[in-house]
Amino acid sequence: MTDYGHDLLFGAFVTPAAEPAQRAVELTVAAEDAGLDLVTFQDHPYQPRLHDAWTLLSYAAARTRRIRLAGNVLNLPLRPPAVLARSVATLDRLSGGRIELGIGAGGFRDAIAAMGGARLTPGESVAALAEGIEIIRQVWDADRPGPVSVAGTHHRVVGAKRGPAPAHDVRIWVGAYKPRMLRLIGRAADGALPSLAYLPGGITDLAELNRHIDTGAEAAGRDPGAVRRLLNVSGRFAPTGRAFLDGPAEQWAEDLAGLTLEYGMSAFVLSSDNPDVLRRFAAEVAPATRELVAGERPERL
Amino acid sequence: MVLQIGALLTAGAAAGLAAHAETLGYDLVAVTGAADGPDAWTALSWVAARTRRAGLVAVLPRPPRLPAVLGHAAATLDALSGGRLTVAVGGPAGELAATLDAVRGVPLWVTGDDPGSADLAGRRADGLLTPLPAAVPAALPAAASAGASAAGSAPAASAAHAAAASAAHVAAAEAAVAAGRGAVAVRRVVVVPAGAAAADVLPLAADVVLVAAGDAAGLDRFAAEVAPALRAAPAAAGAPARRRPGIDRDAVPASLTAVAPGDPDYPRVRNTYLRGGRPGIVLRASSAAAVADALAFAAAHPDLPFGVRSGGHGISGRSTNHGGIVLDVGALNAVEVLDERRRLIRVGPGARWGEVARALHPYGWALSSGDYGGVGVGGLATAGGIGWLARRHGLTIDHLRAAEVVLADGRTVRADADTHPDLFWAVRGAGGNVGVVTAFEFTADPVGDVGWARFVVGADDPAALLVAWGAAVEAAPRDVSGQLIMGPTRPGRPAYAQLMAMVDNADPDAVVAALTPLAAAGPLYDQQVVMTSYAAVMDNAAPGHHRGSGEPVTRSALVTHLTPEFAAAAAALLAGGAAHWFQIRTVGGAVADVPPDHTAYAHRSANFSVIAMGADAGRLDAAWAGLAPHVDGLYLSFDTRLDRVADAFPPATLARLRDVKRRYDPGALFRDNFSVGDR
Repeated sequence: MTDYGHDLLFGAFVTPAAEPAQRAVELTVAAEDAGLDLVTFQDHPYQPRLHDAWTLLSYAAARTRRIRLAGNVLNLPLRPPAVLARSVATLDRLSGGRIELGIGAGGFRDAIAAMGGARLTPGESVAALAEGIEIIRQVWDADRPGPVSVAGTHHRVVGAKRGPAPAHDVRIWVGAYKPRMLRLIGRAADGALPSLAYLPGGITDLAELNRHIDTGAEAAGRDPGAVRRLLNVSGRFAPTGRAFLDGPAEQWAEDLAGLTLEYGMSAFVLSSDNPDVLRRFAAEVAPATRELVAGERPERL
Repeated sequence: MVLQIGALLTAGAAAGLAAHAETLGYDLVAVTGAADGPDAWTALSWVAARTRRAGLVAVLPRPPRLPAVLGHAAATLDALSGGRLTVAVGGPAGELAATLDAVRGVPLWVTGDDPGSADLAGRRADGLLTPLPAAVPAALPAAASAGASAAGSAPAASAAHAAAASAAHVAAAEAAVAAGRGAVAVRRVVVVPAGAAAADVLPLAADVVLVAAGDAAGLDRFAAEVAPALRAAPAAAGAPARRRPGIDRDAVPASLTAVAPGDPDYPRVRNTYLRGGRPGIVLRASSAAAVADALAFAAAHPDLPFGVRSGGHGISGRSTNHGGIVLDVGALNAVEVLDERRRLIRVGPGARWGEVARALHPYGWALSSGDYGGVGVGGLATAGGIGWLARRHGLTIDHLRAAEVVLADGRTVRADADTHPDLFWAVRGAGGNVGVVTAFEFTADPVGDVGWARFVVGADDPAALLVAWGAAVEAAPRDVSGQLIMGPTRPGRPAYAQLMAMVDNADPDAVVAALTPLAAAGPLYDQQVVMTSYAAVMDNAAPGHHRGSGEPVTRSALVTHLTPEFAAAAAALLAGGAAHWFQIRTVGGAVADVPPDHTAYAHRSANFSVIAMGADAGRLDAAWAGLAPHVDGLYLSFDTRLDRVADAFPPATLARLRDVKRRYDPGALFRDNFSVGDR
């Protein structure tokens, strides 16, 4: 039961539907107007009913001024890491430092292979993601002398120029559930971004996820608190409380504050394509959650 | 072809300059970037959101490692930008084919001035972009000059560049002609430095001039001092000669919008759902009068292929072609309720069936149509219309009360049971032979919630499955319509069939009862049954314009019963591998209530409509021959053998149709879809 003490973020998980073409952009603007901190898009380049997530992120970033944007999560097997690093840096500079890098090992192996991506075993995916993160960090580290040099098994970038550097310290958030990937997050990433709906045991599984992340961090000599715990959630506003995130806004706030205080979750990304729901999440749930959490946290010195 | 002038910007500078370029009147904003610098695609996506009108060109110096991902990204950026995207890709010509294959439906340019690039552009692309040599400009995007190595003073290099670029464009045009595309298919795209003078640019005879500018001052100067002179100059010297021979574009009536090879929109209109094409001109009509103008234009070109397109899903109907004329009535897409009490609606031929279903849903109505929401009304409602409501509600044509038809001579007439009754008869099943329908009046049916089922059943014994499914369908209540899809058996893979069915009954218990015998046709591997609406089921079309390629090869048959003999022949067809798609739709029921002589679709006794698709016509025919003894006629929409009119129309129907054809289309202007005319 750990609270890692991060500021809370409230975000939206918006479907990047290909039609109507501007729908996801409009929802992004609605999320910004509502006051949310973050908008995210899933990334399935093999799915013609969905927009290409990176193109959509770039376009949506240009239509907004304040909100942060991230993939949720970008598909590393179909996004070569050096290209991805330069793309992220380019967009981070254009957007004034509003981009974070949500990334994952890619779940649909047949579809990825059909698009020309490598077909990796789960173990290989962990290694490939580790190599990818290393390449991305070296590209971004533009002031360091010498070229990018990662001679990995799955990703090999040796001798390429560094840069451009992003405008701010872009955080790398990884969508992950399994121990090896979680330990990699503890070792090398800045955040974990699972979906509550995919946890077979529900909320209580979060303790197990945290344990693996913390183990990985400690083994690498890092403070486990350096790794933000983000969570994709879904829910329903209802007049009376029925279940977790199924009830009035006050109950949502209690549910989420519980996740922060007991499981260390510090970012909640709500899956919804309904602007009214996003507005309630931002206007009613976010401030109430922050208040509840602030009231329970010890005063900082 | 109108000259276009674009600003070629680096990824690092594009966001700051693109909106300014658009304000200055640049037609295009092109963004490029070196592989180890800021990312051009990201910058162009940003620019797309901050501009409104300018065309957008992604100038990629190298082919992407994953072309399919670029293809998906291009579809997204094209959609987000309202269809403004062009992709230019450079690199060794031998490595570009995969990119050209993957990026579909947007204009594609090849970048380079070597013979390989010119040849590839001529054969396959929509433009050839010849880059600047490295020595010329001061403020040049690194990627635009990549690969070139000319040295020396700027004027000398400029002259050498002009010569090389010109030679490459000539070579591309020759390659295009050799490929049967017409030289006009490949736009001449050149890059000039922002300091260039009109006298330097005009000799390049370009269709597109990209100005490589590093700052706003360069863009300002070119826009003010050079662009007006370029736009005032007569069309590029070579352009008229490069038009498609035999089509006089200047003679296109003003009521029509023409799209021809080389036009920015051409890549979006040339293909259809299942067919790749390169028509010489596509004429978009948005009124019956414009349709009449287009028919006059087509009549003046009697030697060219002529096709009519509503939604572009035709298999037998040639709604694209090579070198000919296409009349596109997609803009005639209104869906209106004329009389709510009588459920009378008026629908344009360009509306899609998904849109029709969506429009009728709030009234609690539906109109029996096909099975795919992207199909256009015009083609289907003049052929038959076999879909998810057929057994309960009949064919689409059975709901037609009147049609507004533009005839070959340009007259617009209303055809119904009392006015032009022969024409009304022919429109319902052979409409492609007699005119262009510009409005349909239908009676819709009250249709509430429906049951919608998808089953996967084992097909280790495909013949037994077919017999069992066929018997179950015939025994099913009329509420049930559906289809069966099978593919070739593959070694090492379990054989299976997909069964789909709609039950037009809002009672879930009745739905389950109706579906249970169907699901028992074979061992059930997977099932999904929901209560939903007809509109929701028809909301199944992929977005975007058509990206078909090649030429479909299909065979159709109508069958009364799926007998053991038919099933054995079908199983042999599947086992032989000549068909990659085999599908049976249910007919019968209400379809059979209509007398055969009532419409030009006469095969009323058939209970099943069968289609097979293959890659090789000879192989497919050899395999298909085994079915012949067990079938009776074909559904003309689904067969690419246009000479099989005697299978499409039984003798009495054919005789009457030939008579109607002689009266309404004596010159056989409409000859591209099972024509019964004399030419």
